[in-house]
Amino acid sequence: MSAKLDPRTKLYMILVVSAVVMMSATTPLLWGVRIAMTMIPLILLVAEKRYASALRFTILYAIALVLTFRFLSEESTGIVESLLIGYCGIAVQFLPALITAWYVVRTTKIDEFMSAMQRMHVPDGIAISLAVVMRFFPTIKEEYASITDAMKMRGIAFGGGRPSKMVEYRMIPLLFSCVNIGDELSAAAITRGLGGKVKRTSVEELHLRVFDWLLILAFTAAAGIFVVFKYIL
Amino acid sequence: MSENFIKIKHVHFKYKGSEKGLLDDLSLTIPKGETLLLTGASGSGKTTIIRLINGLIPHYYQGDLEGSISVAGYDIVKTELYELAGVVGTVFQNPRSQFFSVDTDGEIVFGPENIGMETGKIKERKQDIVSEMHIEKLMGRSLFELSGGEKQSIACASVAALLPEIILLDEPSSNLDQGAIGNLREVIKRWKAQGKTIIISEHRLWYLKDLVDRVIYMETGKIRHEWSGWEFAAMDSEKVRSLQMRPLKVSDILASDFAGSDIQTQEISDGVVLKDFYFSYNRKPYLIRKKKFQQNDEGLSLCIPKLTLPKNTVIGVIGHNGTGKSTFLKCVCGLEKDCHGIIETDGKEYKGKERLKICYMVMQDVNHQLFTDSVQGEVLLSMEEEDKERCDQILQSLGILEFKEKHPMALSGGQKQRVAIASAIAADAKLMLFDEPTSGLDFCHMEKVGGLLKSLADAGNTVLVATHDPELIELCCDYVLCIENGRVGYLRVVERS
Repeated sequence: MSAKLDPRTKLYMILVVSAVVMMSATTPLLWGVRIAMTMIPLILLVAEKRYASALRFTILYAIALVLTFRFLSEESTGIVESLLIGYCGIAVQFLPALITAWYVVRTTKIDEFMSAMQRMHVPDGIAISLAVVMRFFPTIKEEYASITDAMKMRGIAFGGGRPSKMVEYRMIPLLFSCVNIGDELSAAAITRGLGGKVKRTSVEELHLRVFDWLLILAFTAAAGIFVVFKYIL
Repeated sequence: MSENFIKIKHVHFKYKGSEKGLLDDLSLTIPKGETLLLTGASGSGKTTIIRLINGLIPHYYQGDLEGSISVAGYDIVKTELYELAGVVGTVFQNPRSQFFSVDTDGEIVFGPENIGMETGKIKERKQDIVSEMHIEKLMGRSLFELSGGEKQSIACASVAALLPEIILLDEPSSNLDQGAIGNLREVIKRWKAQGKTIIISEHRLWYLKDLVDRVIYMETGKIRHEWSGWEFAAMDSEKVRSLQMRPLKVSDILASDFAGSDIQTQEISDGVVLKDFYFSYNRKPYLIRKKKFQQNDEGLSLCIPKLTLPKNTVIGVIGHNGTGKSTFLKCVCGLEKDCHGIIETDGKEYKGKERLKICYMVMQDVNHQLFTDSVQGEVLLSMEEEDKERCDQILQSLGILEFKEKHPMALSGGQKQRVAIASAIAADAKLMLFDEPTSGLDFCHMEKVGGLLKSLADAGNTVLVATHDPELIELCCDYVLCIENGRVGYLRVVERS
């Protein structure tokens, strides 16, 4: 059985995980729930054969967890410890959301996404803008890589002695090329009928399968546990 | 047959914010089923005509428009763009910016979905198009891993999926190699056989000369010449040259065997020696220690044990799309960290990061390598110690001194390229690498680039230029280096008649 999920399930996952990372885990039970929630997108990444990123995230998350629980406490002092607390705190807190978002962006086709948005009666304007954002991630990555190359060639990868320039030199060409690409992209999409008054169809048929419902249930339960144990009990 | 399908009457057009009009009282009628070629220098209004027919002017690109345009019975000014989607299809110049999806299947069905076609029908349509264009092996892949030629095939397929009666192609061959242009030619031929009306704006003429029914030569927003297809195909090269068009015939310089004599690299006593250039994109995962690439490794994307390049010459680097030309350039100038090649010149060895100091690559998209807010700043940034006098000299020699204070992004494409070259000279790069410097240029600009490359070589630089343009090789190259599957095919002298 393929582990292909409905984009609506994926969006729901993002929603729940983002909400949960904003609530701090205080008891072992909550920690357990939170770690279990992080495992799910990791397993899904493996199921989609994205071993490299799954491994990288697992190691990163594991290191942060081990450091937090084993070596750091509220009594830690010293520069190294305080820096580590900062980094690990952020990693442990927000990595779950990052992993889930990564999984969703990497495994959802634009077409599926558009179709899901339509099913949920999201206005076209919003759906198209979000789709363009998704379409843009790989483009930005490509452009960024060439710009970094160009900077290395000029010996200004680190700002040529002026750290403040490091960001400027990177951002200006990146913004220019993204604006240009975006402009050409919209022109091309419009000539192929995007944004018309007719109702868009989609060859991607969306069905919420058993697996989708199970995940939705699991995530709802997790969110429920967090809310109940933190705010009600 | 003689029914006028596209009618453009007395059109004047001026882009918003620009002072000069781009089209000047232009009238043009195109009968159904005609294959029309638009040519002429950059900025002569070819692209503007394409945009008038697909409605991007006036609906997307705004400006002052006078006159009337009617396409297949639609009045363009009064028709919304999405209504034209099934009537006019456009293949754009740059394959990387005309995709909406990230996967090939999604891209082909994108158009039909937009016009609300039934899903069963879309699937059928997709099957038809895929088998008609023989692109079965491209299905189910990410668009970001395709080569330029493959991307253009998908672009053609996704336009064809809407079954438009009119197909516009805006400089479709700019980023393609000879083989991919051959495929494009086949696609256009098939469309022509299906009776579609085809309008192509293009600088490269050789692949179209026996396909087109009519040729229109544009100059400053006006139709200057008009030929029938056979008149055009029979035109002599003198006339072609006098009109600043790219040649109609090109020798088979880029075909697998370029007829020149091999030079034995041992013969070159004073040259730039490249040693041990090995590189692969699919490296085996490593745990502790990175293993250096070796000559005998399997699956190398680049494998050059030793290569001597003649000094102070222009060397054309040729080979098919995806055969390792760009990898070669990137490795030579040290951008691929894992390639540990050594460059030997003037009795000195350059390893690792030192290579970056003596090499400079002018990228295909020069926008990526302009960082500062003035042309002068750009050149000074490349110098170890800022020397304004020398900067002026360099700018003067490239003819861009007058733009010294301007923002590089405000310049035209050719001027930007010169700014990048100026910083290469300022950085004292002895080895200058160019990645496709003439893609999408008209003949006049190509001649200028050719002259520039020659003068760089005369000034004591060794110039490597990766190109798909046989015209450019004829113009300026002394040698041709052919890369095949990451290995040196041959290095030959260019013999001019």
